[in-house]
Formats: sequence, C-alpha cells, structure tokens
Amino acid sequence: MKLIRWIKETAVYRSIFRLPDVETERDRAASHWSSFLMHIYPVKVQRRELRFGYSAFLGVASLVLFGSLTISGIYLMFFYVPSPGTAYSDIQSIQTNIAFGQYIRNVHRWSAHVMVIAVAAHMARVFYRGAYKPPKEFNWVIGVVLLVLTLLLSFTGYLLPWDQLAFWAVTVGTSMASYVPVVGDVTKEILLGGPSVGSATLIRFYVLHVALLPAILAFLIAIHLWRWRKDSMLTVDPPPPGEEPAAETELVIAGEG
Amino acid sequence: MSEMDRRRFLARGWKAAVALIAGAGAWTSWDALRPRLPAGFGAKIKTISADDVPEDAVVEIPQARAYLTKIDGRVVALSEVCSHLSCRVPFCESSGQFECPCHGSVFNRAGDFISGPAPRGMDMYATEIIDGIVEVNTDEFITGAPPGTETIIEPPRGPACTEGSGHA
Amino acid sequence: MADEPVVIDNHRVLGVVPGKPVAGDRKVLGEEETVMVWPHLLVRHAVAALVVLLIVMVLALLFDAPLREIANPTITPNPEKAPWYFAALQELLAHFHPLVAGVLVPGAIVLGLMALPYLDRNPQLVPQARRVARTVFTIFLVVWIGLTLVGFAFRGPNWSWVWPWDEWHGEL
Repeated sequence: MKLIRWIKETAVYRSIFRLPDVETERDRAASHWSSFLMHIYPVKVQRRELRFGYSAFLGVASLVLFGSLTISGIYLMFFYVPSPGTAYSDIQSIQTNIAFGQYIRNVHRWSAHVMVIAVAAHMARVFYRGAYKPPKEFNWVIGVVLLVLTLLLSFTGYLLPWDQLAFWAVTVGTSMASYVPVVGDVTKEILLGGPSVGSATLIRFYVLHVALLPAILAFLIAIHLWRWRKDSMLTVDPPPPGEEPAAETELVIAGEG
Repeated sequence: MSEMDRRRFLARGWKAAVALIAGAGAWTSWDALRPRLPAGFGAKIKTISADDVPEDAVVEIPQARAYLTKIDGRVVALSEVCSHLSCRVPFCESSGQFECPCHGSVFNRAGDFISGPAPRGMDMYATEIIDGIVEVNTDEFITGAPPGTETIIEPPRGPACTEGSGHA
Repeated sequence: MADEPVVIDNHRVLGVVPGKPVAGDRKVLGEEETVMVWPHLLVRHAVAALVVLLIVMVLALLFDAPLREIANPTITPNPEKAPWYFAALQELLAHFHPLVAGVLVPGAIVLGLMALPYLDRNPQLVPQARRVARTVFTIFLVVWIGLTLVGFAFRGPNWSWVWPWDEWHGEL
C-alpha cells in the first residue's frame, strides 16, 4: 500500500493521471472530466438509471460483447488466411493444433450470437421506455444503423469458415440482393466479386468483416455514446396532458448541470 | 467582382470540392470493386454425344453447372442454379421434376415453373451440336421463361423426392 | 428527571431534546435525483459486463462452434438454413416473391424503425399514454420472433414442416 501511495505521488503518475485528491463531489467531477476513459460517461445520472429494470444494462452488454468479439477476432486473425484453398483447413487447425483455439473460436461465435440478441433487446427496451423521443430521435436512428451493422458483421463472418453452412447461406443471402430494382445485379456482383460465391467473395467478406464494418461500427458507437451522455439528464417526464409543458430553458440548464 | 461575390464563390467552392472528391472516391471504388469477369463462365464446354442425351431424364454436366435433356428432340441445357435464390436444384428421378431443397420451388423436365416461390422457370444456356457432340455455351445465358409457360406437359410421374416439396 | 442516570455503553444520557437528528433528515431520494456516476453507475456496469462475459465463456465451454464439410458448389445441403437471425426472412422467402420477402419487407422494417421517432410525435413516456405505439411494436416483435422460431426450428428438408423434437434442423 505504501508503494502504491508513493507511486501516486510521483511526478510521472501525476502527469499521466491529472486527478485532484478526491474529497468532495466537485473533486470527483473534476477527476471525471480529466479522464479520457471516463469522459464517455456523464458525471451524474438520475437514480432511475441505476435500476436493473430501466435498461437491463443491455447497452453495456452490447458494448462488452463488441469488445469480446474484437479481442477473440484478433486472436483468430493470426491463424487464418482468407482463401478457398486455406480457409477451411485453417479453421480445422485452429480447432485442433492451436492451444485454446477451439475455445477462442467458440467465444467469438457465441459472442456474435449473444450480441445480436443483446442489441435487438436493447432496441426493444429503449422503445418501451420511450427513450427515442425528442431530443433523442437521432440517437435512435444511429441505434438502428448499429443493429443493421451488427447483423452485417455477423453475416460476413459467417462465410469465413468456408464450410457448406457458410457457402450456401451466403449464396442465398446475396441472391436476395439481385432482386433490388435497377441496382440489384450490380450490387450482387460487387458483393460477390464475380457471378457466384468464390475466392473473390471470401476476400471481400473478410475485408468487410475485419476492417471496414468494425471501423464504421466503432465510429458510430462513439457518436451513440457521446449523444447518450449529452442527453442523459434529459429524461424528464412531460407533464400530463393539459398542463403547461416545462420550459425549454429548464431542460437545457438541467442538461448542462 | 465584389467582396460578397468572392466570399460566396469561396464558400461554395470548397463545398463543391468536397463533393467532387467524394464523388470521385465513390466512382473509383465502385469501378475498382466491380468484377471484370464476363457473366457466366465464359467458355464453350464440350459435353457428351447428342444421341446420349435422354428424352425422359436429365444428365448433369458438373463443369457447366447444367443439366442436358431433350425437349421434342431438341437438346437444351438447363442451369442447375435455381432462378429463385441460387441453390443447386437436383432432379428427382421418381417424380421426373426438378425440386429445389432450399425453398421448395418445383420445375418440370423442361425447366418450366410449376410451383414454389421462384419468380420464373429455370435459366438456360445456349447449346450447339458440333460433330454430334453437344457444346454448352456458358457465356450465353438465357433467362428462364415466366410462370405459366408450358413447353411440355409432363405431370409428376411418381411421388416427390421429399414430402412437402409441393408446398407453395 | 429520574434519580438514577440512564447509562448506555458506559455513557450517561444527559437529556433528550425534541427535533431532528444532528445529521439532518434522512432524505428519501426520488427517481429524478442525481447521483455520481462513479461509483453508483460504474459499479453496476462493471457487474453487468462481468455477467455477460461469464455467460459467453460458459456457452463457449459447453457448445462448440459448428463446422460442416468444406464448401461444395455442386451440393446444396437439404435443408439449406440461413443463420438464425435471418430465419424469419427465409421463412418469408418460401411464401412470397423475393422482391417482397427479400427486399421490400426488410427495407420497410429498417426504414420504419429509423422513422419511428419522427412518426410517433406523442411526447408522453408513461405506458398508459402510448397504447397505440406499444401495441404496434409488440405485434411486430411477436410476429418477427414467431417467424424466426418457425424458420429456425420448425423447417426441415425441402423447407417442409417438422417438429423440432422429432427432427432437429436448427443452425447457429
């Protein structure tokens, strides 16, 4: 403990974590503001947000699963080459030759399935709470895009093992695109990189799965959380019909406080 | 040129430049990602002797991903890729029809649409008979006939391969 | 005053005064009162995160991710199943033209969800004041979950009806 206290008083530590000694709520708020990791959170929230029934913590769950998928996915990337000649045998060797390979693949697969459920349930919970109402409309729209991206990520990952399950699910899934009027056939060809699922499709789905879609997802999650923080003090129940609505300025002050 | 005009010109100019770069980027990636391959397999595939193509059954030509059969003495090549959602359609010997395992579309021996969710009959490839050998031109893709076309009238000659295949 | 002093824990009680305790009233906090995120919310989030990770790690211990035979363009598995989250769409595809089931319905769902906050302009948050919105959304959820279940567990070879306890064809 003495060592920890000594470290905390060194000039180096104090330059990294520019925290005041926490004594009052004001100090705590100040250390909150000065931390990069904490700045995605507001300083204060309403007590209702602490209850399990408010959100069931499904948003946190989705974010944690995205983290779990990123980490397990990076492990898998070390051992996987996206080419029809190697993909399937790479998965086999991940499962048999690599320590904890099967387990990491399982974690990746299950995190993906649970994330789809968590994101969908998060959306339902937000709906029933009415948390998409002004001024939060656009954050709901971003949330819908995040749900679609989650599904796309899951689907692009589905092809990578290059087994029968993967091949035919993607064959059928991309064939649906060809029914989009006017641009359908071109969209399908761009997705597949050719007339049917093949090596070009595998590398395309791989790039989408490990680079493009996660980057877009992470960017939108940042905006989603930032807007959540900005709006976190605004869940004020409107007065019952017939009474005067709360003045706009009051809401703004509450938001800044 | 007055002061305001120049300001407005610059204000619009930078937006136009951003739009131009975005447009160029979109066009470039669109063009780069469009596959250069011709539609289909692009080759003429020599198959079997025209005399060996059956009148009442089909022969699969795996390298062309097609079936050969004779309709009124004429050889046709039916693509085995379902016109619905690209599943491979197997031929059912007992009913003498094509039955798709994915969503239950059924086609008769000539590829005419019978039932199921497919929007049209089976797609075909052009064929030529050169020195008695059937050549399938996988570059020449013939879109399947609309539902209701009756090239031949051949009711199922027996039970379907799997129950429920007739479901709409 | 009694003659004998009242002693509690070796301390003599000098007197009892009416009024509030020294620390002030015990405050009953309302739902709208604010609390510091650290520690109140962060601790709960940390526990939620650990629970989620635990669920995933246990699932991964119990069930292996599937790996079928290597991809083969000449054999379509029968039944051919989409991943479970697209099972509802696949069920629709077996009944309607692909333009309807594969493009219009999913497109309408995504666009409808995005437009929801702009269509539902009722500012009320209490459930009793938003019956229509809740009913519509609940019907959509029930139908979609039902279709997903049917497509996932109740469809077998040639997309014919099977009972999941007789034959299992679900794919994850």
